[in-house]
Amino acid sequence: MGVFGTMFGDISASLFRRPATEQYPLKRREAPLTLRGLLNLKVEACTGCGLCAMDCPADAIQVIMLDRKTKRFVMNYHIDRCTFCGQCMESCNRDALSMSSDEWELAALDKTPFLIHFGNPNDVEQSLAGTPEGGPATPEHD
Amino acid sequence: MKPILTIIALWLFPSGLFLLIAGLLYQWFDRKLLALLQNRIGPRWFQPFADTLKLLAKEEIIPEGVNPYLFVGLPPVALAGALTAALYVPIAGLAPSYGFSGDLIVVLYLLSLLTLCMGLAGTNTLDRFSLIGATRTLTQLFSYEAPFLLAMLGPAMAAGSWQVGTITAYAENHWLILTQPLGFIVALVGLMGKLEMPPFDAPEAHTEIVSGALTEYSGRGLATFNLGRAVELVVGLTLVSAFYLGGVSNPLLFVSKTLALLFVMVGLQALLTRLRIDQTVGLWWRYGTLLVLVQWFIMILG
Amino acid sequence: MDTNFPQNNFTVPIGPQHPALKEPGLFKFVVDGEIITGASVRLGYAHRGIEKAAEGRNWVQNLYLIERVCGICSHIHALAYCLAVEQLANIQAPPRAQAIRTLVAELERIHSHLLWMGVSAHEAGFDTLFMYAWRDREKVMDLLEGLTGNRVNYSANLLGGVKFDIGTAQAQSIREGLNFIEDRVRHYQDVVTHDEMFLQRTRGIGVMTRAQAEVMGAVGPTARASNVPRDLRTIAPYAAYSQFPVQMILDTRGDLEARFEVRLDELFESIRLIREILNALPESELTIRMPRRIPAGEAVVRLEAPRGEVFYFIKGNGTDKPERLKIRTPTICNLNSVVHLAIGHQLADAPMILAGIDPCFSCNDRMVQVSKVKDGSEHDMTWKELRQYGIDYYRQLSK
Repeated sequence: MGVFGTMFGDISASLFRRPATEQYPLKRREAPLTLRGLLNLKVEACTGCGLCAMDCPADAIQVIMLDRKTKRFVMNYHIDRCTFCGQCMESCNRDALSMSSDEWELAALDKTPFLIHFGNPNDVEQSLAGTPEGGPATPEHD
Repeated sequence: MKPILTIIALWLFPSGLFLLIAGLLYQWFDRKLLALLQNRIGPRWFQPFADTLKLLAKEEIIPEGVNPYLFVGLPPVALAGALTAALYVPIAGLAPSYGFSGDLIVVLYLLSLLTLCMGLAGTNTLDRFSLIGATRTLTQLFSYEAPFLLAMLGPAMAAGSWQVGTITAYAENHWLILTQPLGFIVALVGLMGKLEMPPFDAPEAHTEIVSGALTEYSGRGLATFNLGRAVELVVGLTLVSAFYLGGVSNPLLFVSKTLALLFVMVGLQALLTRLRIDQTVGLWWRYGTLLVLVQWFIMILG
Repeated sequence: MDTNFPQNNFTVPIGPQHPALKEPGLFKFVVDGEIITGASVRLGYAHRGIEKAAEGRNWVQNLYLIERVCGICSHIHALAYCLAVEQLANIQAPPRAQAIRTLVAELERIHSHLLWMGVSAHEAGFDTLFMYAWRDREKVMDLLEGLTGNRVNYSANLLGGVKFDIGTAQAQSIREGLNFIEDRVRHYQDVVTHDEMFLQRTRGIGVMTRAQAEVMGAVGPTARASNVPRDLRTIAPYAAYSQFPVQMILDTRGDLEARFEVRLDELFESIRLIREILNALPESELTIRMPRRIPAGEAVVRLEAPRGEVFYFIKGNGTDKPERLKIRTPTICNLNSVVHLAIGHQLADAPMILAGIDPCFSCNDRMVQVSKVKDGSEHDMTWKELRQYGIDYYRQLSK
């Protein structure tokens, strides 16, 4: 024969405690530093090798080489394809990639914020003028 | 003057619109308190109103194979039954103005009319879930009706009358919960069964049979049934608290006593697991009836 | 998976969309009043073609695809894949990496069992236990987020090691979290074994004897609750389980209550194991270099997921993409037991029996092979024929 109402202690204590619900977005809790949020590229450290693009499981990174000799390149990052797995960070052997821990609210009302171009501003302009955007696997590295 | 008062009494206060609003507010209290007991934030006060308005705005889909007149006609009948039952109970602490001798039985049968309509609505469709839900609803109706009736008749016997107004007046001087505790327990549990509140929500066990008898209902029909349930909640609470908790002579006492009873019911709801339908029937036909008969025995002797 | 049933009884379909199921699957119960007289299962609603998709991606990309076979046991799938690929390449991941992999796997087991307990309570109608169990599960999710960077799909594994290390501050927060969880789980164990009304829904329901379990091929806690000693962490240790052994939890009763007990006791074992690993983390580097092209060969890996035995077969042909990947998850072994055990019980017990095996339909979906039966011939339909059949069927219906 068992007992009735074994959770009585819990429910009577809850009447005097604050609810456990997190009232997001009214109160935003700090994410831990290890959170894999938005990707960021340090352009000075990047050499345009394209290992990150090769290893991305979602084809979210494209490295477009404008001029191989002078190392002018642009990296296109598609936020809407990214799965935030962090493999690109591991594949990069120059420590150029990092994932933010406080930029993770990435919803938008249209698709324009979902494509980010990393690179020198002149290079970015040139690539936008020339190459088509958002194509399938990278033109240079597959 | 009389017709205007009658119209106000029937449509606005204390029956009609006031009762619908009160019913939805009591539903909110139920949901909010259950949420607080489960350590979470519940809905805001206007949630049941928003739900009703949303349902009224949605399309009512009449499935194939049903009798359309029954399908559309049962919800208003159910709501009407619940609203009519309110005319004989002291809602908001006011003495029932339409009482007559023997109206206790009428009230209880009008409340059962709601459950019966839901059962009929379930059997009307071809849907498996509705059929099983309707079977369970009617089974539960048969099983708790007898003990609940006897528990309600306990105060009637003590007061020497079968009119709700007279019993309430008698109960104001005698707190029947102290002299008939077993009857109170049976009445409380019986009320939970009548309202299909957990742990007696096998008829609408949504992890087993989606929504029970009301699975096929949407839009207006579902809104009407929900309003009927809300009214039944208020009427049932008023009845039990008026009989056992010392009468409801003014609005403040009405609100406090019914809410206290609802508090206890919500506590039981949070504490217990859902019973299977055979366990519910077994419980009632064994313990419920036994307790009530013991109570009557004690009353007759003492 | 069918049992014979006469045609004049009443069929209740649980699924594919049903509040009792968290994922789509069709269970047809033939009921007579409230008693179930026949049952059958149909899967295929969450099939995504992962095995085929894996053949078109390289070894590194596949790691993240495989993680998404299941949300609740994602780390185990990734771990199985990594172990299989490392077996192909004949490379052993360093000891610290193996220990960290084991730690994350045990944390995942804790979160999965707490989730299961909440869902089972919800199926029984005990919503309060559901809410409290999931509230406490948030603590484990926070621990995992702080450790790996995400609440689900942890992406902790790399081919050849792990991505992150556990520092002293991390270890301290894990220990504090575990103390909290242990207290709460002790309370839940008390609730589940003593609450009279909950016991009425679990005691004596879905009893599976040891002989039945062995014949039907049940795995995981479902089998261990019927006294079948199958636990791959003790029988065939992988990752760091040979260095940090686990005790096998068995129960002889075989009913739903036994399954609750087994899983809750496993929770305590996991907590103990995590504490042991934290105290004795071996010192080594975190990853080892893996080649881009894995040598040809076949590898078989069996792991103990929270639900049972997960089986992976990988065939490589020397390129940078796998040739064949075969995944067999535990739920498909346990589903047979649901269909057989449900007979004779009430319809209200059916969701409980289903929840008792801890089903995970997205793990186990298979392709459905449709054969034309109307005209008596039995050839397999091609995609084109099937499509045309569907078009003709609905065209005829709307006439």
